[in-house]
Amino acid sequence: MASDLLVNPDSLRDQVRAKYRSVALSPGADYHFHTGRGLASRLGYDDRTVDALPDRAVESFAGVGNPFSLRPLEPGEHVVDVGSGAGFDSFIAAGQVGPGGRVIGVDMTSEMLAKARQTAAELGLEHVEFREGLAEALPVEDGWADVVISNGVINLCADKEAVFAEIHRVLRPGGLLQFADIANGRPVPIEALRDIDLWTG
Amino acid sequence: MLRDSGFAGVLTGEAADTFGGAPGEANARAFDVYGYVFLAQRPLP
Repeated sequence: MASDLLVNPDSLRDQVRAKYRSVALSPGADYHFHTGRGLASRLGYDDRTVDALPDRAVESFAGVGNPFSLRPLEPGEHVVDVGSGAGFDSFIAAGQVGPGGRVIGVDMTSEMLAKARQTAAELGLEHVEFREGLAEALPVEDGWADVVISNGVINLCADKEAVFAEIHRVLRPGGLLQFADIANGRPVPIEALRDIDLWTG
Repeated sequence: MLRDSGFAGVLTGEAADTFGGAPGEANARAFDVYGYVFLAQRPLP
């Protein structure tokens, strides 16, 4: 663990995995954040696009913004979705890039991966693939991606510099990172930043 | 941090009230926490 990190990455990862395992298995439970179709509408996703997706693809969505709002994807692009969860943004991406493109979703929570793979199979999306992995060690070759997307994930990683370095590695030169995440307008006390329980709940 | 990691052309979108009406709203309001969209490019060599 790098000495300048606020929390232990492995401990934080365990807590995040537990939280999102619950979101995968019990999407309707009470969380400190919104989930599902209501959240997607709140964040400005296109209603018709979301309506076309099965509940399994949407109910565990827990993003914080719409990573397609500043730039829709283009047909044929190769996309990596960092922290893809149950696949909501990956499926939106799949529709935008079309069958000539490719989407690789990466997530560390097996229950989320299972839901995403089941939905991809149900929808017959052969250009979407879900791989188990960490944001700090993406299972994607150098320079493969035209675009990297992510939604509410990087704030949950202890070593953000390592995440951005990894995203930089998988993007081709000229490639784009378009992601949504939270930011605070007032400083958070250092003791709160070092309290791992506050990172996920 | 994006620029320090080698990205350029960073754009930031409008704030989204991600936690409004959710159980975590009070904590979010305490620290002005909102969702943002960012766009950045890995520069060409």
